Amino acid sequence: MEPVPELLSEVLRGDRTRRPRRDLDAAAGLRAVLEDHVFALFGGGRHESPVAVSSATLRSGGQILELSDSALSRARGVLISTVFRLLVAQVHVDDPFDAALSAWRGERPHDSLLDVLSHLDADQCARLRADVSSHFNTLVRGLGPIPSSWRPRTSQRVRQLLGGGTVTLSDVIDLTVGSTHHEFANIALVDVTTSPLGAGAERVMRYHALMQTLRTSVVPLRTSIFSSATGELWTLDVDRELLMRSMDDVVTILARLGESS
Amino acid sequence: MSTLVQRRLTARDVNELIADAPTDVAMVSEDHRASLASRFRAVPADEHRRLDAWMVEQAGRPPGPFAWSPTTARRILGNNALRRVLATPDTILNAVRDEVADQLLRAVKGYARPGSLGHWLAGVAHPVLGLITAEAVNWATQGLDVAEGVEATWRVASSDAYYDVAGGRTTLRGRRDLVVDTDDGSLVIRIRSGQPGKSAGPGLRSDLVVATLAHPDGLAPRRYLGLWPDAGLILGVDGTMENVRAGARDFVRTAVAQRRHTLARAA
Repeated sequence: MEPVPELLSEVLRGDRTRRPRRDLDAAAGLRAVLEDHVFALFGGGRHESPVAVSSATLRSGGQILELSDSALSRARGVLISTVFRLLVAQVHVDDPFDAALSAWRGERPHDSLLDVLSHLDADQCARLRADVSSHFNTLVRGLGPIPSSWRPRTSQRVRQLLGGGTVTLSDVIDLTVGSTHHEFANIALVDVTTSPLGAGAERVMRYHALMQTLRTSVVPLRTSIFSSATGELWTLDVDRELLMRSMDDVVTILARLGESS
Repeated sequence: MSTLVQRRLTARDVNELIADAPTDVAMVSEDHRASLASRFRAVPADEHRRLDAWMVEQAGRPPGPFAWSPTTARRILGNNALRRVLATPDTILNAVRDEVADQLLRAVKGYARPGSLGHWLAGVAHPVLGLITAEAVNWATQGLDVAEGVEATWRVASSDAYYDVAGGRTTLRGRRDLVVDTDDGSLVIRIRSGQPGKSAGPGLRSDLVVATLAHPDGLAPRRYLGLWPDAGLILGVDGTMENVRAGARDFVRTAVAQRRHTLARAA
């Protein structure tokens, strides 16, 4: 896998003649194997609080804390994610920082992260504004037009319970395009991250594909991740092997979380 | 005994649940309506009560103050946009934009009352409008994705179902997003966010009883389906008399619980 110097929209479209038939059978098997693993790790009893796994857990490989977890980094992530939604909705954005902040306040006015932003001094605020502008410019250059006919959905949430609620898998996919009703695989998933791409990014791509498969029972066509820090774009075609690898990622994380709890 | 069916949210399962729905459904009579009204009249109310499935699921706990947000606005805008797309083929994004524009026009002309969606939209910043559009597009796309998999004739519900309880100072509201029409009667689909909780069944039965009471002939839908696309799950309740009765009982219990909460707050 190497960086592809193409627009995201072109990569998502790919070669239409090489799309596989949609796979409706893989999801049931994946779900059953995951349930078996959860039973083996946690037993059949109910736990007081569910073991929670998200794309953030996968990104960090199950580590509890990492540098990018700082409040300012998370705020930057939310701002870029918000402005990305505006871009996909074809909203004209003059000032990405102001637009994203305004939209964020309109959506979740009581978010505690907003308090962090309101307590920044002038220098910190200026740095964050410049940072967001830089990420935004990279995003605009790499995104390309996403036609409305592709049915783009942003910030799509996925939530799956395993072991009768012992384990909660949750995910937010920044962009999903396509439909599950086509004869050929048609769904493409995109994650936008403000971090440079690394091993964690691959796990996140696979996790999005796994969660989408569990949610819709249809295997998506491809999964991509775009770094607004570096402009790198990674794309993987989804097949059963990739889904099995993602399941292994999840089981490894669950085992680690199980030990620590 | 009232039963709850559960399946994965796939086109095949939705179609099976539609095809297998019972054809022998409940019909509420004037006696049933009178009996329900007498039960609500027995629960004192200081002001007009408005009950829906969400309140049943919350066991009558008083809701916090309502505030419009992109999340609370998406269902109205998304369903209206879906109706537009069906009437005049266009992209969902354009349909949502047209719907938002219509709401804004109503506000500009002075037809939008304070607190209404149009009034709120007229006062929000441009980027927030963008986010509202994104949420409504998500909702409409999700609805269309579900509906396109339905083999029977379907339509977007023109409004939620409402039923005023005679003399009971109570209005019941049943949410509905899609209506599936078959030769043997209709089925109702409600789309919800997140994952179904323990009280999802009572919530669906509440919607079922309102749909039944709001029907001109008191005829229950063959089946009421709750779809949770985030979790990829479907729950359904059949339009049997047991389920309609259970739903009505849940509403009365909720009214009683709500009354208790009100008295406790006042004490």
